[in-house]
Amino acid sequence: MEENVLKERVAQLEDHILKKCLWQFHSRAWDRERQNENILGKTMQILCGEPVAKETAEDRCYYADAVCLADAYKERFDWINTLNVAEIKEVMAALKERIDYVTITGSLNEELTVKQY
Amino acid sequence: MPHHRFECSECIPEREKHAVVKGPGEDLTDALPLGYLNTIPGTISERGCAYCGAKHVIGTPMKDVIHISHGPVGCTYDTWQTKRYISDNDNFQLKNTFATDVKEKHIVFGAEKLLKQNIIEAFKAFPDIKRMTIYQTCATALIGDDIGAVADEVMEEMPDVDIFVCNSPGFAGPSQSGGHHKINIAWVKNKVGTVEPEITSDYVINYVGEYNIQGDQEVMQDYFKRMGIQVLSTFTGNGSYDDLRAMHKAHLNVLECARSAEYICNELRVKYNIPRLDIDGFGFEPLSSSLRKIGIFFGIEDRAQAIIDEETARWKPELDWYKERLKGKKVCLWPGGSKLWHWANVIHEEMGVEVVSVYTKFGHQGDMEKGIARCEEGALAIDDPNELEGLEAMEKLKPDVIFTGKRPGEVAKKVRVPYLNAHAYHNGPYKGYEGWVRFARDIYNAIYSPIHQLSGIDISKDEIATDKGFSTQRMVSDVNLPEEVKNSETLRQYTGGFDSVSKLRNKTYPYLEQRAASVEA
Repeated sequence: MEENVLKERVAQLEDHILKKCLWQFHSRAWDRERQNENILGKTMQILCGEPVAKETAEDRCYYADAVCLADAYKERFDWINTLNVAEIKEVMAALKERIDYVTITGSLNEELTVKQY
Repeated sequence: MPHHRFECSECIPEREKHAVVKGPGEDLTDALPLGYLNTIPGTISERGCAYCGAKHVIGTPMKDVIHISHGPVGCTYDTWQTKRYISDNDNFQLKNTFATDVKEKHIVFGAEKLLKQNIIEAFKAFPDIKRMTIYQTCATALIGDDIGAVADEVMEEMPDVDIFVCNSPGFAGPSQSGGHHKINIAWVKNKVGTVEPEITSDYVINYVGEYNIQGDQEVMQDYFKRMGIQVLSTFTGNGSYDDLRAMHKAHLNVLECARSAEYICNELRVKYNIPRLDIDGFGFEPLSSSLRKIGIFFGIEDRAQAIIDEETARWKPELDWYKERLKGKKVCLWPGGSKLWHWANVIHEEMGVEVVSVYTKFGHQGDMEKGIARCEEGALAIDDPNELEGLEAMEKLKPDVIFTGKRPGEVAKKVRVPYLNAHAYHNGPYKGYEGWVRFARDIYNAIYSPIHQLSGIDISKDEIATDKGFSTQRMVSDVNLPEEVKNSETLRQYTGGFDSVSKLRNKTYPYLEQRAASVEA
């Protein structure tokens, strides 16, 4: 996928998360890492038609957010329905990198590193 | 995203770091207002104190409890008229407020004896109420009264009562948010796990960070019960003390106001492995998505979808009637904490208004991240504003309406900007599908109230037009609408009743029974 196309697509997916979701803004960096990893990971698996772990309560909670995100992506962004598995993985990996940057590594939120809740 | 310096705050340069404008092409990593810091000396903040956050926001919505402030009587001011967290037990916790009425002599000689006397007196005055929360205040904290020891003494003498001690005096944090934190942690540490509940469903949740403002909790609980979900406890609106002692037995914590109650969810996740699901109860799309997520978690998505379809069909035409008339109206979204992000995007999308500013009185930087992310470019985001900054922002942004608390709201009215009460609501509840239409109706009424035609006229000098009559709301709001919208047969104004909550209290629910032997927690 060309870089500018990838960037544009990731921006659309990012905008949706920032405007419609809450899971990415938990209060501590370690929580955000866990949320981003699990929810975006499961979203990618759903979009790729891969099996998704949902045996534990924690997994089911991530899964619930992931199903809604994957459905929203398929409904709002026609282009995502035209991608093959490798392309979906490429876009979602870039999205994960971007969300990690905006919410964790590049975040100016000074409370992210507070040790206790 | 440049920081914004208010002219009125040039003499307080530290304030500049507390406001930013969301510029085009910029993101949260460019600038973020500081937050949850001590109010800067010289700026007249609109915040409450940590005692207020613990008692008046989180503690007092618990319905079957004597809430007693150990301190001067003025500390317990906020009650029936200023707070609107109703309950289905005839509003016991709102109608009755208690304080130990500490005076100078108690400061000198100690107030523990006075506290014990008041506790016993209160229990005797209300023999049906067996639960109490005692709130520490600045005065009694400074003299070192040990309210925990007094509570233990009473519980030993009166074994049928249970008392929770909330040690969050007013100075225990930069704002009311410090009190939210303290009472969250104290409750999970001292009370959760001390009662074993009766489980009546395969699907059990705690509904957390929900305060039943004008019935919000009861509206949401109705949806949950229609899905067959047992709401084991609500933290804390319309919530029962003993139900909240049993929070450890839920399968899922459904979190509404993360600002005030994420702490207890986080602790419950660490201590009892109960996952936390953040939801939005405001707005058709966010609420639908929230119900769906809960349905997916429990494997009962079809039940959620049935509610979504039914409620959307019933109420969407009414929401859209207001949307047609609110499009493009400028809003300052100036609540206390969580509503800046609950509402910032959805009022734009579902009501068509433009959010030109967001502010928070006690939010943390995390709330600003959510709020700024959800509003459109050009919005001015302010942390802990003072009154002059609010006035300057209104003069510059010229909003059609502001959503805020009653104190800054009255300031806005004086400069002829209509306001809606974002904390206690005007004609709520605002949660749920019907509630969202009620909110839209309140916005419409605020913006198009005929009073605005008259309030700007100075009869001592202005000319009064005698050739035209008075304009009604519809004449003003519909003047530029296309005919097909104006005469639409599908769109309609709100058709619900004055009271949308009481009818929910006697409903029966088909799915509420336990079927499986157990559900993995």
